[in-house]
Amino acid sequence: MATKKISYKEAITEIEDILEKIENDELDVDELSEKVKQVSALIKICKDKLQKTEEEVEKILEEMEDK
Amino acid sequence: MDSPQLSLSELQGMIKNAMELALPDSYWVRAEISELTVNRSGHCYLDLIETDSANNITARVRATIWSYTFRMLKPYFESTTGQLFSEGIKVLLNAKVEYHEVYGLSLNVRDIDPTYTLGDMAQQRRVIIARLEEEGIFDMNKELELPLVPQRVAIISSPTAAGLQDFIDQLHNNPQRIKFYTKLFPAVMQGKEAPASIIQALDRIFEYEEFFDAVAIIRGGGAQVDLVAFDNYDLAFHITQFPLPVITGIGHDKDDSVADLVAHTRLKTPTAVAEFLISTVEEFTSYLAELEQQFVDAVNDRLQENREQLNNLLNSISGLARMRIKDEQQLLQISELKLKTGLESYFQEKKNAFHLLASEIKSSTGIFIRHRQNLLARSVEKTRFSTKTINWKKGNELKTIRHELKYKVEDKLKFENQQMLRLQETLRLVDPQQILKRGFSLTYKNGKLLKSVEQLAKGDRIETRLADGTLESNIQLITQNS
Repeated sequence: MATKKISYKEAITEIEDILEKIENDELDVDELSEKVKQVSALIKICKDKLQKTEEEVEKILEEMEDK
Repeated sequence: MDSPQLSLSELQGMIKNAMELALPDSYWVRAEISELTVNRSGHCYLDLIETDSANNITARVRATIWSYTFRMLKPYFESTTGQLFSEGIKVLLNAKVEYHEVYGLSLNVRDIDPTYTLGDMAQQRRVIIARLEEEGIFDMNKELELPLVPQRVAIISSPTAAGLQDFIDQLHNNPQRIKFYTKLFPAVMQGKEAPASIIQALDRIFEYEEFFDAVAIIRGGGAQVDLVAFDNYDLAFHITQFPLPVITGIGHDKDDSVADLVAHTRLKTPTAVAEFLISTVEEFTSYLAELEQQFVDAVNDRLQENREQLNNLLNSISGLARMRIKDEQQLLQISELKLKTGLESYFQEKKNAFHLLASEIKSSTGIFIRHRQNLLARSVEKTRFSTKTINWKKGNELKTIRHELKYKVEDKLKFENQQMLRLQETLRLVDPQQILKRGFSLTYKNGKLLKSVEQLAKGDRIETRLADGTLESNIQLITQNS
């Protein structure tokens, strides 16, 4: 399962891969529901990362200020 | 000493006169501005030099642009060249040589030809570009891949620049509410120190290379222009070698500087840089939305496909089921038929058994009747004998007894007769003849009663007894019950 540290590119690549597999009928129905969860999670991670402030990142910026 | 003596001022005056005679006109002179100061009154003092290819100074002279001239020349020069009239640039000046008794020689600048500076700048730029290309590094920053989402932006700018805050505000207040992280790395953005200062800022950002997605070099909008700072080999070199994509927005509307040319993305203004960053992220978000939609569609298509497959399966199953039911119905019909014939033969069997029973009953009844008749005859005989004896022995009593006897015998006979009639009636009921009359028949082969088709073969001759006669027939078909 995807971690929080996943990059946009990794997320997109993973979604694209899964999409391709579905379109090529490479997944059976059981796998499909697993992949639906996975893709939803990836999309959510991306959206959160796009719009929500990451404290960690703010902290690094503040530390730069101190130098 | 007979030679006449001159005062210093007399000598200086002679030099001045001689120079005025020798250099009466004004001249177009090519030179590089080495130093430049403008005093409070607005007079501009220049130190002009010429250097050889090894950068050694081969000539030097002071020059002055009087304030009334400078006020006109400076804006004209800067608007034409897009370049500050500043140290480090090469100029073509129209000047008159002047000699002052106290201050000595200087050039009085009357006019400037900006096209020369433009040409020189272009030439310099060409030289720098050629060198970068020769070194094979010109495109190196362009070859970097801008992250899909350039969310973390290192900004190189002058902290006092008016455009800086606008740029930051624009990024942070984007309509899609995308989160941008920005950090300012201050640098001097014009004049001689600019290239070194910007390079220093790049070096600081380099420490956080992993953290940032891109570098934006911006300079607030305004009248100040200084291309030479960005037509600098060292700065261009650092940009090409920088591991993060560099985006420029250094605000000039003439030619692009070398820094612009080697940058990953060159834009005119800080606003354009902010728009570029936002639209890049928006491109990603819309791609993400598109992917999401595609994914939803693909999953739905897939599910629809599966539903259809299931329906097809169901259809073929019900087809199979119908076929199976039909088969079973046929089997049932066959069973029904078999049962029917089975029942028939069962009844036949029962009928035969009944006949047998009937004939047995008949024979046992005959025996019984004969036995009774015998008994009766014997009784009669006995009675007759007794009567005779009694006649003999008791002649007198005979009449009474005979009379009595007669009644008794008559009663007895009557009883026996009734009994016999009853028996006859019973006999009549169980008489096989009667049974035959009801439609049952007996079948014989060679005089033997048949009880099983196994006793028969095709072509055998059989005799069938019915109530009113017998018939003979040949066997054509034998069907044995299963």
